[in-house]
Amino acid sequence: MRQTTVAAVAAIMAASVGLGGCSSSTSSSATTGTSASASAKTAACTFAGVQNELYAKGVLTVATDQPAYPPWFENNNPSNGKGYESAVAYSIANQLGFKASQVKWAYEPFNDSYAPGPKKFDFDINEISYTATRAQVVTFSNSYYDVQQSLVALKSSPIVTKHTPAELKTYVYGDQVGTTSLAFINSDIQPTQTPKIFETLNDVKEALQDKQIAALVTDTPTAQYISSSEIPGSIMVAQFPSTGEHYGLLFAKGNPLVGCVNKALATLKSSGTLAKLTARYLQLYTSVPTIKP
Amino acid sequence: MAEAPGLPDLSARRSRLLGTGDRRGLILSTTSTVMVLAVLAAIFLLAPGSRAVRTTFFNPTDMWRALVGDPKAGYYSVGEALWLNIRMFVIAEILILILALVVAVVRQSTGPVLLPLRVVGTIYVDVARGVPLILVIFAIGFGVPALQLRGVSSESAAVYGVAALVFSYSAYVSEVYRAGLVSVHRSQVAAARSLGLSGSASMRYVILPQAIRTIIPPLLNDFISLQKDTALVGLLGSIEANKAAELYSDTTFNYSSYTVAAILFLLLTIPLARFTDHLIARDQARRLAGARLWTQRTPAPSPVTRAS
Repeated sequence: MRQTTVAAVAAIMAASVGLGGCSSSTSSSATTGTSASASAKTAACTFAGVQNELYAKGVLTVATDQPAYPPWFENNNPSNGKGYESAVAYSIANQLGFKASQVKWAYEPFNDSYAPGPKKFDFDINEISYTATRAQVVTFSNSYYDVQQSLVALKSSPIVTKHTPAELKTYVYGDQVGTTSLAFINSDIQPTQTPKIFETLNDVKEALQDKQIAALVTDTPTAQYISSSEIPGSIMVAQFPSTGEHYGLLFAKGNPLVGCVNKALATLKSSGTLAKLTARYLQLYTSVPTIKP
Repeated sequence: MAEAPGLPDLSARRSRLLGTGDRRGLILSTTSTVMVLAVLAAIFLLAPGSRAVRTTFFNPTDMWRALVGDPKAGYYSVGEALWLNIRMFVIAEILILILALVVAVVRQSTGPVLLPLRVVGTIYVDVARGVPLILVIFAIGFGVPALQLRGVSSESAAVYGVAALVFSYSAYVSEVYRAGLVSVHRSQVAAARSLGLSGSASMRYVILPQAIRTIIPPLLNDFISLQKDTALVGLLGSIEANKAAELYSDTTFNYSSYTVAAILFLLLTIPLARFTDHLIARDQARRLAGARLWTQRTPAPSPVTRAS
């Protein structure tokens, strides 16, 4: 009897694994179809036209994580319209015909944002980098910010002066979990010691102050903000050359709303609004030296 | 299956079931088991989001990639990361066994001179058990380095993690020890002392051996829990199995890595659970010194010949 049960369980498990294996190809082909139709259907990008594509009718539900860090948000309050990402979200809403009062903010931890099942938001704006692998699971908008990685260290740290490619390999780096910075550290800097990965950016900052890490790696605007306003005695060492990385808004896979949002982003880009917001919130740190990893 | 002394004699029952021609019972039980499993599997497979769940949580390709890792792509091997969990667990376990015993013995001591120690012990157990482990890990992992003490403040995250685990778990385990000490009847102490053993000698040779035998199951229970809680040390930046799994899922947006971590933790804890069962069975057999267990009651009138 026990053997029969075991055999039955094994059979069911084999069947489910088999189904799981082949389903990946079918799902990807299905979603390609929907995204193609989504981009074709960009005719009615008005308040009335997008109603059927919304999570909740009448409001644009935008999600981000907590805490919401500057300079992307200000005072941990996404709904004040201040900070680059908050301002971009309200500009997109404006383009789609929403009033500021018709934008609702949802709290979505980054780790949950790509979970299967229905999303609780229209799009998530949370400094999420586009990668081809991620785009198999969710739909990304076009870039709203082209990002480069930077180093922040304490002024007393040797990395401030010694950062040739060979010297860069000798330090212990810190990073927030889930960022593309880790792939950058391991593929471009290639340090000899394993980097330390923390749950939140605040934990990374704490580790930097405690000298548990020699430098933290993050995007340039965040690095600039940390070194100028958050950690006394810290300095932004340098930024690394662009790897073509950019931030995109995260949508549920195949959400047709991305068509209209991309159109809005294109308008914001050509009208110079994005550049204006970048100058206002992220500033143009042209003086930041670029070093090679 | 080799019958452990503590288990009921299944083989005899099974052969009776088959021998009396009760095939109907066998068929019914098999059918019902298969049907229950089939219904559960059908619910899982036919759920609207089933395909998404299977590709997100149980994708063999992703599971394999998470297991072997690829640092340049932004994630580490979950299997390799588990090695850190194992090391932290083993070191923490040894330290906990020692520290907890000291705390328990101090708290059970009766000498009036030792009152300050007893008070300290009680306060320690209250605090260490009452504060969530995650807060202890943060306090030690970020607090001690912030002190900038030479020699103490520049340890690796795993060291602080182990310190936090030892701090928290020793309190639990000392209570388990204490329960064991209390369970040894006072007459044992009296007998030991009447034989001329000193207080500490009777503790060492009479009380502790009996107490520890009683508490092995709850002790191992705590250690299975400890094995899993090593995952919390990932909060301090070190890459253990759970953190490696998180990195994989954050990089690829696929949760199959968590399934890999879960399976690896199961592979760690299940042998320990079976070992606990084995110890309990062995201990019971020893205590009864050959006498039959109540769980092994065979039909009274028949001669004691087992057909296993």
